[in-house]
Amino acid sequence: MIRTAGLGRRFGAAWAIRDVNLEVRRGEVLGLLGPNGAGKTTTVRLLTVLIEPTEGGAWVDGLDVRTAPDAVRARVGILTETPGLYEKLSASANLDFFGRLHGLDAATRAERIERYLRLFSLWERRDDAAGTFSKGMKQKLAIARALLHDPAVVFLDEPTAALDPEAAYIVREAIEGLRRSGRTIVLATHNLDEASRLCDRVAFIRGALLRVDSPAELLGTMGARGVDIALSQEPDADLLAAARSVEGVAGVESFDRRLVVSADEPASVTADLIRALVAAGADILEVRERATTLEQAYFEVMGVRPDRDEAA
Amino acid sequence: MRLSIVGTILRREWAETVRNRLLMATILVPPVILTVAPIAAGGLVGDRSLPADFAAQIIAQRPDWAAFTPSELAGAFTVQQFLAFFLLMPAYIPLSIATFSIIGEKQARTLEPVLAAPVRTVELLAGKAIAALVPGLLAGWLTYVAFASLAAIVYGPRLLGVVTDPSWLSGVFVLGPAVGLSSVVTGVIVSSRVNDPRVAQQIGGVIIVPIIGVTLVQATGSVLVDATGYLLLAGIILALSLVGLRIGVGLFDREAILTRWR
Repeated sequence: MIRTAGLGRRFGAAWAIRDVNLEVRRGEVLGLLGPNGAGKTTTVRLLTVLIEPTEGGAWVDGLDVRTAPDAVRARVGILTETPGLYEKLSASANLDFFGRLHGLDAATRAERIERYLRLFSLWERRDDAAGTFSKGMKQKLAIARALLHDPAVVFLDEPTAALDPEAAYIVREAIEGLRRSGRTIVLATHNLDEASRLCDRVAFIRGALLRVDSPAELLGTMGARGVDIALSQEPDADLLAAARSVEGVAGVESFDRRLVVSADEPASVTADLIRALVAAGADILEVRERATTLEQAYFEVMGVRPDRDEAA
Repeated sequence: MRLSIVGTILRREWAETVRNRLLMATILVPPVILTVAPIAAGGLVGDRSLPADFAAQIIAQRPDWAAFTPSELAGAFTVQQFLAFFLLMPAYIPLSIATFSIIGEKQARTLEPVLAAPVRTVELLAGKAIAALVPGLLAGWLTYVAFASLAAIVYGPRLLGVVTDPSWLSGVFVLGPAVGLSSVVTGVIVSSRVNDPRVAQQIGGVIIVPIIGVTLVQATGSVLVDATGYLLLAGIILALSLVGLRIGVGLFDREAILTRWR
């Protein structure tokens, strides 16, 4: 559905992104992850033909963004960082305007405006000025606007940024609905929890494409694996030695009445580990397998250690 | 350029304009004042005659006014001063609408979704320009019709010939649109550089300075600009507007709007 080859964009002397090679499959939800200024919005703008590439190419639904810009624009829908609604116009007038820009006839406009306003629970407020809506409602109206012309791909740029938890929940539910309907979605976000819940694959961007993978694959292959054991006493040398003696244990560290055991296969060593520690006199309060989060994977891919960076 | 898209943008612009009370007051109040005030002032003056030497000076410049009574001559001279005011409407109304429209879109970040639709920059700019230009021209023309009718009623039927002579017609119907176009171009250029409509209007207001200059020259009675003068002026303004339009289109570039308009 989307393909890029060596895609790059420079502003002045500085490259926002470079050498991006990416494929997004039909019906897939791809998350674009990266810090501020990483090039997420630039990537979205390139793929929605808002700006032109400096180098490389991009194709959306088989159409070249350089040679068929209007055709690409007709096939994409975009939720920009800010809703960008005409606040003095009603919800339905906002949608009608964009329906006309996309060349929809009157009957199609009327049918789709009703369909999407009902889908996002805005139908009762259709005649109210968009400026009277809450942030969450505005964001939903902006998503409806992005879907009105039935685009092949929907780009959502920071859809829940600057929203309060309630509004963010409403918008996430709306995105979840789109995902279930089989839309191809590109979701640029800072929110890693959102990405892990909504995305089939995530692409880490920081001036270039660093890695693309499914959240499950990332969590399975990245981050430290092992077992955390909470004790009622400070672990002494005997306990450390007992833990290290268990087959499959790669390393043991102690922190404040806690043993942090590294192991490639935590599930297979846990039972032996508990037996060995109890035999050595350990009073165990809790045993928990250490799970890698998308946040840890993010920091690892980005090469960032927040605790150290902050200290620096 | 697709006229249906231009029409869609035009309708949306006007739908927002009529909902903007400040902008509507800016558009509607001055024309009413400009129409009624000079006529009312003329009607309130009891002895409508000019000093003899000044009247002779006027007749020397406008021999076709020699047959007027002293009252009609005073009326003709008075209404002649107000032609320039009818050029102010196509100057400031498009400037106000264009600056509110463009800066309003910058502030609300509404242009990005529009630019992501299959809309060409020239269609967007044409829609905005027409939406800004037409109210100014209509206000100027409608006010002129009202003014000419009232002038004939207050000063006498022969004054109708004064306000419909070639200088007036060329001023209102040729120079006016040229001034309006230059005003829209100024609005586009200035609005792309500032973020406050009031600041944009103040900067763009320099376009009104030459019109005020024409008014002052006329008021001294030393020079009465005739139809040829207005047509010449319209030609110069039109040429300058076309140069400005090229600059404006460049500033209205899709990428510039997204990456440099802040």
